[in-house]
Amino acid sequence: MRLLVIEDNARMAALVADGLQRRNFVCDVAHSLTAAEDAMGGATYDAIVLDLGLPDGDGTDWLTSRRKYHEMPPAIMLTARGALEDRITGLDAGADDYLVKPVEIDELAARIRALLRRPGVRIQPVIEVGRLYFDVANRTARAGDQEIDLSRREADLLELLMRHAGTVVHRAVIENALYSFSDPVTPNAIEATISRVRRKLEDAHVTGALHTVRGVGYMLKDNGA
Amino acid sequence: MTDRRSVSRRLKRGLGLIGLVGTFLLLAAVVFFYSFTFAHLDAQAAMARASREMLEHVALPVAILMIPVTVLVLRVIRQAFRPLEEAAAEIEAVQGHERGFRIDNSQMPTEALPFTSAVNDLLARLDEAAKRQEAFAADVAHELGTPLALLSLELDRLEHDDAERLKKDVAAMRRLIDQLMLLAQIDADAVAQIPLAQISLSDVASDVVGAAAPAIIAGGKTIELVTGIHAPVTRGRREAISAALRNLIENAVRVTPAGGAIQVLVGPGASISVRDEGPGLPPDRLRNLVQRHRRADHASKDGAGLGLAIVERIMAAHEGTLETDPDRHELILRFPEP
Repeated sequence: MRLLVIEDNARMAALVADGLQRRNFVCDVAHSLTAAEDAMGGATYDAIVLDLGLPDGDGTDWLTSRRKYHEMPPAIMLTARGALEDRITGLDAGADDYLVKPVEIDELAARIRALLRRPGVRIQPVIEVGRLYFDVANRTARAGDQEIDLSRREADLLELLMRHAGTVVHRAVIENALYSFSDPVTPNAIEATISRVRRKLEDAHVTGALHTVRGVGYMLKDNGA
Repeated sequence: MTDRRSVSRRLKRGLGLIGLVGTFLLLAAVVFFYSFTFAHLDAQAAMARASREMLEHVALPVAILMIPVTVLVLRVIRQAFRPLEEAAAEIEAVQGHERGFRIDNSQMPTEALPFTSAVNDLLARLDEAAKRQEAFAADVAHELGTPLALLSLELDRLEHDDAERLKKDVAAMRRLIDQLMLLAQIDADAVAQIPLAQISLSDVASDVVGAAAPAIIAGGKTIELVTGIHAPVTRGRREAISAALRNLIENAVRVTPAGGAIQVLVGPGASISVRDEGPGLPPDRLRNLVQRHRRADHASKDGAGLGLAIVERIMAAHEGTLETDPDRHELILRFPEP
């Protein structure tokens, strides 16, 4: 997966790129918005890591204006300002996610992976979380080499959780994704589906990956790495 | 010392003295004036006469003058000082909201104005100084961001046993800086008086718990959210309330042993409680933590006191309170009922 890191502090940019490379991303670095535009003319990126304050302009403004006319890969904004308002402006401007500097490379890498798992991001025939694989086209799942037999609804749920692996998926999101408006959702329906998926994962020796955050939602977590 | 300072006591003493001196002088005048006339009368008749004369010409005038004067003077004094007492009570009551507070001069007697005006000027200068100090702290925190980021990135490359330990130190430093920035932000907001929005406490709690859960689960603990049927709302700033709850959850995670559970409870009323498996925080220790950023044994080494002080500031800005219930192991964010 190829990333573009746009950051004016050369040392910081090199360190971020280096850290991401060690986590199996391919990274290019641009020190200004002009350089970023040049780079994007010459290559296709899967995601952008964007610093807010750059010598030739503000990252937020750049992203907003570029989104209007160009197909843009998902962007993670890095903001040094811990300010509450700035985070929200960043997201409004079309950043898909933000991190407040100083960032942990592990966190950044995890967020990028999560972004890339989102629907509509390039063609992803297979979503991968640790030992778990989900084939989007065939709607089948396997753990390592072992097939996991899932009903349609269980498959939908597992896909949803895998796309958001490492973050808590709220119950309301699950309800909306799995049940249509006309479909009445009984309070236990989601729990029942979750426990069936959990049992099937455990049968496939994927244990302790599906977590319940009671009162909020569920999270699938890669226990391996 | 207190005698010297009390105006009404000095006045009472002065009036008493005037009364005594007046009585003595009048007595002397009566004795001097009548001494010849009474010389021919027999002793008993003279005594009775003298007593009556003295009552009429000494005790009566002194009483008629002195009693109303005393009453009046004391009343004037009390009234003159009442606005000062009221101002003192206001100053006492304003604890925690000192920023921008001034003494109301409209009811002050002219004589007290120079003093209260000077106090107000002092308050203004203190506000200004506090603002400068906070802006400076925010600047420092901001400037520290880049070197700290570089440091943690360099540590990430370092494949050494010590690297993990150092990373933890850097992370603690980073949290501290985040807290400082947040503190500066709250005060900036309080000054700017940004209009408040209607906020559902359940929504805020759900978002914050969801965001905090992955790290808590990774740390081998669990967190859950308990909401009632009612959906309490409050007026406030969502990000600030989220930050307050985040800080309480961080605190709960810190004191809860491995394998323990943290509960976030919305309600009853407009409140959010965070229940941990720590020893419980007594009210006086919470007060210490909050007021002086002092750390109790309850907390560890990464700015817990500052975290709770920030929560308190956020709650004060929402006219709410941060409370503790040590028996239930809960810290409670209580918002005013809408």
